[in-house]
Amino acid sequence: MTVLLEIDDLTGGYRDTNVLYNISARIEAGSVLGVFGKNGVGKTTLARLVQGSLVANTGDIRLQGRSLHALPAHARRRLGIGYMPQTSMVFDDLTVRENLSLGSNREEPDRYFRRFPRLAERLDQPAGTMSGGERKILAFVRAMIEDTRVIVLDEPSEGVQPENIDHMAECLKERAAAGGGILLCEQNLSFLTRVSSWCLGLDAGTVVLDKAAEDVSAAELRSILSL
Amino acid sequence: MSSVLLLNLAWQISTLALVALGLAIVFGKLRIMNMAHGEFVMIGAYAPVITSSLGLPGWLQVPVCLLSVGLVAFVLERTIIRHLYGRMFDSLLATWGIAILLRETVELLFGRGYQSVTPPISGTLSLLGTEYPAYRIAVIAGIVLGFGALAWWNARSKVATRIKAMVGNPDLAEAVGINTARLSAGAFIFGCCTAGLAGLILAPTIRIEPMMGLDYLIRSFFALVVGGLGSLEGLGIGAGIIAGTQSVLGALANQTYGYLAVLTLSILFLWLKPDGIRSSTR
Repeated sequence: MTVLLEIDDLTGGYRDTNVLYNISARIEAGSVLGVFGKNGVGKTTLARLVQGSLVANTGDIRLQGRSLHALPAHARRRLGIGYMPQTSMVFDDLTVRENLSLGSNREEPDRYFRRFPRLAERLDQPAGTMSGGERKILAFVRAMIEDTRVIVLDEPSEGVQPENIDHMAECLKERAAAGGGILLCEQNLSFLTRVSSWCLGLDAGTVVLDKAAEDVSAAELRSILSL
Repeated sequence: MSSVLLLNLAWQISTLALVALGLAIVFGKLRIMNMAHGEFVMIGAYAPVITSSLGLPGWLQVPVCLLSVGLVAFVLERTIIRHLYGRMFDSLLATWGIAILLRETVELLFGRGYQSVTPPISGTLSLLGTEYPAYRIAVIAGIVLGFGALAWWNARSKVATRIKAMVGNPDLAEAVGINTARLSAGAFIFGCCTAGLAGLILAPTIRIEPMMGLDYLIRSFFALVVGGLGSLEGLGIGAGIIAGTQSVLGALANQTYGYLAVLTLSILFLWLKPDGIRSSTR
């Protein structure tokens, strides 16, 4: 399998304050790396270090062999790293249509409107007037249609209705099947285990579980969340 | 209202809207309180002085204006302004210093005395039953058309959407591939160039001197305070109220009452409606 993204002995956080320590992982084409752990263990920090809004203090991140270390977020996006943040995930003052047409896209959003019809109904509505769950869906669809090789998703299911979480899972599986790589940071274990091919458990900024998803037991997942 | 007063009002409102446009972009979109805005108007006004002193043809005034203002704006953006985006108070202090530097530099090059230039269009046209300078009529028409084109561009262009995205959520803008540093630099230089163009257009109707910028800065700021930041509509309303009040009171009483009324109006807006009449990031 082609390795899309390599995270190599990464230590970093907010300027000189490290949140993550010596994290290593890789995402192959067609795979979903599910990162989980309690609040504050460093999931969002990992997502932001990969996406480029935070810079690692040591270690490296490589996209198909190319180091991303010195690159700002916009340059990483152009190389193929997509990102859906946990908060402030849409442009509130832009319409749904404008939100979906800002970046360079690999496909039209129409295919996703069948699963998320509310978006199609609200194309000309400012995104800031939508509910929290709808904004999550909009940000998710934006991330899915962008022309990227690896998508970093930070808690995409938070505040989203169960049926739409199911649709999200289907979309992620389809994207992986098409050869994309996905880094999914989640606390929703049923969603995470349904789509992930590999699981990375974090606690206090370090890796405490690193296994193929099929080998992870429910007890292991629960124990990490209760650490 | 007499025809002349009406046409003077249209002249005052349209030119103030043009002068304030650059400040609206730099202050409204980039949160840079550009106290050197009037000095960019001043540099633009010196473009005809430069071309005539070098014996260059008149059509070179526009390129000379854009080059000189653009170059100054580019250097300032790269060295100072890019470190101050979103830091309104710091930018106010820094650009205040830049304004002094620009005034002193121009004074060193051209002296403190007044300069004057002749308009490219001479004579008068008959409009609304009165004779009015053809140059002013052409400028009013040009500004109206220019703002119409800008409104169309603002509503439809991808660059305008990207600027709105950057203003609303800079981190997410970076995440979708927008180079916010480059876009901010472009918006700053564009804003300064519109101020320079305003100076060039106003040059034949005013006395050109190094201290002229301050009045344009203050009136532009008042227009934005009243109209609100972030929309062309607000800019037009603000320019209309400020220039209208000043023109009407200036004509009916005297200029001092006009200035006093505008100052009072602006203080009232800052106190009672600090976001102005039309405030929007769109």
